[in-house]
Amino acid sequence: MHRPLSRAALHSLSVLVLGLVLLIAALVSSRAETRPATPFGVPVQGAAPSAFAPQAAAPLQARGPFGKLLSWVADTQQSMQRELATGVKRLKSGNAIGAMLALAGLSFLYGVVHAVGPGHGKAIISSYVVANEETVRRGIMISFIAAALQALTAILLVSVLLIGLNATGLQVNAWANQLESVSYAMIALVGLYLLTTQSVRLWHSYREGSTAQAAKSQAVHAHSDHGHHGHDHHHHDHDHGHHHAHGEACDHMVDARELAGPFSWRKVMAVVFSVGIRPCTGAILVLVFALTQGLFWAGVAATFAMAFGTAITVGVLASLALGSRELALKLGGASAAWANAVWTACTMGGAAVIFVFGLVLFLASLGPARPF
Amino acid sequence: MSPRGLLGRQLLLSILLAAAASAGFAGAAIAHPHVWATVRSEIVFGPDHRITGIRHHWTFDEFYTAMAVQGLDANGDGVYSKEELRPLAQVNVESLKDFDYFTFVHLSDDDKPLPLKAPVDYSVDYDKTLLTLHFTLPLEKPLDPKVHEVAVDVYDPSFFVAFGFATEAPVILTGAEAKGCSANVTVPDAETAADTKALTESFFSQLGPNSNFGSQFAQTALVKCTAH
Repeated sequence: MHRPLSRAALHSLSVLVLGLVLLIAALVSSRAETRPATPFGVPVQGAAPSAFAPQAAAPLQARGPFGKLLSWVADTQQSMQRELATGVKRLKSGNAIGAMLALAGLSFLYGVVHAVGPGHGKAIISSYVVANEETVRRGIMISFIAAALQALTAILLVSVLLIGLNATGLQVNAWANQLESVSYAMIALVGLYLLTTQSVRLWHSYREGSTAQAAKSQAVHAHSDHGHHGHDHHHHDHDHGHHHAHGEACDHMVDARELAGPFSWRKVMAVVFSVGIRPCTGAILVLVFALTQGLFWAGVAATFAMAFGTAITVGVLASLALGSRELALKLGGASAAWANAVWTACTMGGAAVIFVFGLVLFLASLGPARPF
Repeated sequence: MSPRGLLGRQLLLSILLAAAASAGFAGAAIAHPHVWATVRSEIVFGPDHRITGIRHHWTFDEFYTAMAVQGLDANGDGVYSKEELRPLAQVNVESLKDFDYFTFVHLSDDDKPLPLKAPVDYSVDYDKTLLTLHFTLPLEKPLDPKVHEVAVDVYDPSFFVAFGFATEAPVILTGAEAKGCSANVTVPDAETAADTKALTESFFSQLGPNSNFGSQFAQTALVKCTAH
């Protein structure tokens, strides 16, 4: 049960990582090209660049070896954003289907790269899956639902405020900031909830454990005893069941794996909702820009393509986090005590990270409103 | 399994966890800007060859422009008049105060920023594609650039906005008293050693409002004068 599962997990993870690497390679090579013409027959260097040309700014550059990487991140972001603007405009001239495909592809890449930056739930979702008994498949599913919700929030916000209520862009910004605070507060609450329930479970199982454990010498004996059993069950059984299957000899051990509690949709939805209620700034910018160009639907399509991209990045990171947990579990070999220690660290640590992140971000978001 | 071996592994696990946590923070530190502004600045000279303030002209990117002007054409005639755009300028300069106007004026050999007064003469204009914000920041105390070189850093510490000086005519000196002075823009380069302070700070304070990540990208206008 244990082995095939982790092999499947590794498999899907490697496929995802490979996909991401290919994407980035494609992105880099497409940017390195001189771009004589687009495959769709529309000249790339059309109307948009001329608007920027007179106001060209010095390239962003930071000092030192890291500086190059950091500048590259910022620079990529800028050129992609500009290409998105050009992509939206191109829809108005000629080949709409080709331009739409190009825009969707670009938005997708933008999403993949964009999600590396803060604010797309990487840390929260990764911590959540590590703190809970989640599989790689569910980790990826959670990433996708969260990204889709972020896209929906952005679309709802822009369409209700700008199309429905004729509000201003400044008001959209203000609302986005409010939602951001709400999201962070909810993340902190989810973290607090996980932390409390898991602490309570830890406390209970610890108490049960200490009553069953008569003396210290017995404990030492039990350790070696357990090692024997552990070796046994490593091969065929690593899920909840082993505790009961192995009977008395195991009972004094804290099965920290159970700390996380059973899978529940309610918990998953709480996490997904708290992350998803914060609209992605990049999506809002694209939506508003598309709206001003009279092409709101293109913005909506671009937003979903973008969300698909962010979901992949977040999903890969969540899977990597799960892979690290798996690795940590393997370090212990057959030791059940080790496995319990890893599970305790993961459940408590993951919950604590969610709580602290949420709290810090929430407090930070209460700061003064940004001018731009 | 001996308890001592277990302890060793627990130690190893803690190291693993710490590494994972710092990797998470490092990821968070790869912040990227969402808004771009091209900076053109005037160094305003008053009496006695003293710098009295900085007049900024910041031109924003197309996306931010679309966001900012959206809904401001109150009468719907397709023209964004000065009156219609005035509230935007007002909101911008008022909220800039909390961010030190993203402008850090200091003597070139001293990092301590000199106090600035509230902006005057502010306005925005919109050329149907891009938005430009104009405002003047008076220095609390006029500076004599003949005694000290004066540096003007323009950056957003949180790196949400990427400020870059224009490639053409980024800084000009205005006022008759500017004679004998010149201004140059310096941009950080990859060959210079990293600002380790900014880097480490950025890794750990990226989440907070006091993040200093953007300072690594700070571009500086340096004003030099030849003594009489």
